[in-house]
Amino acid sequence: MRKVLLILYSLFVAVALYAATYTPDNLPVPYLEDKTQYVSNPDGILSQDAVDSLNTWLGQMEERHGVQTVLAVVEHIDAADTYDFCMKLGLKYGIGSKEKNTGLIILLSTGDRAYTILTGRGLEGTLPDAICKRIENHQMLPALRESDWDEAMLATVRAITKYVDGDDSLVGDSDFEHNDGDGTALTLFLLFLAGALGLTIYAVWKDKRMKSYCPSCHQYKMKKIAGRTTKNKLLGIRSHHDTYQCTNCSFIKELHWDEDLHSTGGAAAAGGALGGSFFGSGGSGGFSGGSFGGGSFGGGGASGRF
Amino acid sequence: MKKIQSIFIAIMAVFSLSSCTYNKLVEQEEAVTRAWADVETQYQRRADLIPNIVNTVKGYAAHESETLEAVINARSKATQITIDPTNATPEQIAAFQAAQGEISQALGRLLAVSENYPDLKANEQFSELQAQLEGTENRIAESRRLYNETVQTYNVSVRRFPNNIWAMIFGFEKKAMFTAEAGAEKAPEVQF
Repeated sequence: MRKVLLILYSLFVAVALYAATYTPDNLPVPYLEDKTQYVSNPDGILSQDAVDSLNTWLGQMEERHGVQTVLAVVEHIDAADTYDFCMKLGLKYGIGSKEKNTGLIILLSTGDRAYTILTGRGLEGTLPDAICKRIENHQMLPALRESDWDEAMLATVRAITKYVDGDDSLVGDSDFEHNDGDGTALTLFLLFLAGALGLTIYAVWKDKRMKSYCPSCHQYKMKKIAGRTTKNKLLGIRSHHDTYQCTNCSFIKELHWDEDLHSTGGAAAAGGALGGSFFGSGGSGGFSGGSFGGGSFGGGGASGRF
Repeated sequence: MKKIQSIFIAIMAVFSLSSCTYNKLVEQEEAVTRAWADVETQYQRRADLIPNIVNTVKGYAAHESETLEAVINARSKATQITIDPTNATPEQIAAFQAAQGEISQALGRLLAVSENYPDLKANEQFSELQAQLEGTENRIAESRRLYNETVQTYNVSVRRFPNNIWAMIFGFEKKAMFTAEAGAEKAPEVQF
């Protein structure tokens, strides 16, 4: 029994150890599930406060300047070095927009004591290698030496934001679906609702008007003088027999129409159904995952060890 | 008369097919030229960095003149070799690669030597130059990888049947790639 427990325990430890080593293929990228999450913190090295701040800042950076970032802090990586890891990650996901190539990857491996800032081809002008190095030397390194991982990442992103903000040529990409995605969906939905409501009102009005039409004097002055309703459970319909008389020429017309008991009425029902499904997709859009645009990385940026 | 007509149609059909192949080959050849231009740009970028690095190191380690000169010599030798990618032979590519490899080796030695000078290592400008150099080496590796990939796509189209017939007629030939070279082309290891 003891042996079994020991084996189980060692297995558990092995799995735990294995889980703490990441490859570009198994690194969790929360952005894909939730586009407000830029930080990959699978080992919980960063505090939740730091993660929240970083996500906010990186979100603003993407919104304002179209710079799409993945920031990862892990214990161990399984790659030649952090640069290699970042390049493979960039190649795998195509971080950044395809036209502007403004992707950014920041990786810190605390166990390997190594870090990399990798810039997409379109960011090499805003964040040249020397600037990346300067940011690393001045902002990241002092905190890393004290094992203050939160501060290292916060200071780095703060400094990068300053450089990115200072570059007027970097503008937020209006094509980024998540920037105006929610707004567009909401507007479309409201427009659709208004349209469905209008159609329903028009259908009711038209129906009423047709009923008041007098075939004899061609005026809309018929009034209902008698009505009788029969229900047919077998067919699932309700039959209406109404009698209308014209107030102008006293002409009498009989109206007979069947109502389908399974639906509550033409346009409104259709509108409701459509609106419902539309709202469904719009609702899921609120917290949906982000997508990477297919940006490419030429190898710019800077790496280092501490 | 009918025979002439059918022969004419057959010739037209063959030509419309071949023009499609031809255009594709032209496109792919252009992609190779572009990829090569990128490779050259990155090597040039490194060549442009060298004077700055040499001057910075000189300020701290003037008596390492041998190492410094090796870098300068390798640079001037390598910048003389230019290649036209449209008809580069494997030998030409190899010569280009060897010359650039010499720069890499000389730079590697220079960086190794600079480890002995704490003042130099602490110099901010030098640190940033090193980062630039490292980034450039990374870019070189990346552009070479892309070049090889583009050439491979092109070579496959040129050699595949029936493209190979048209490639032969229009004179599209297989192109040379970079080969992995043990040690010489490895980015110098920069330790901080």
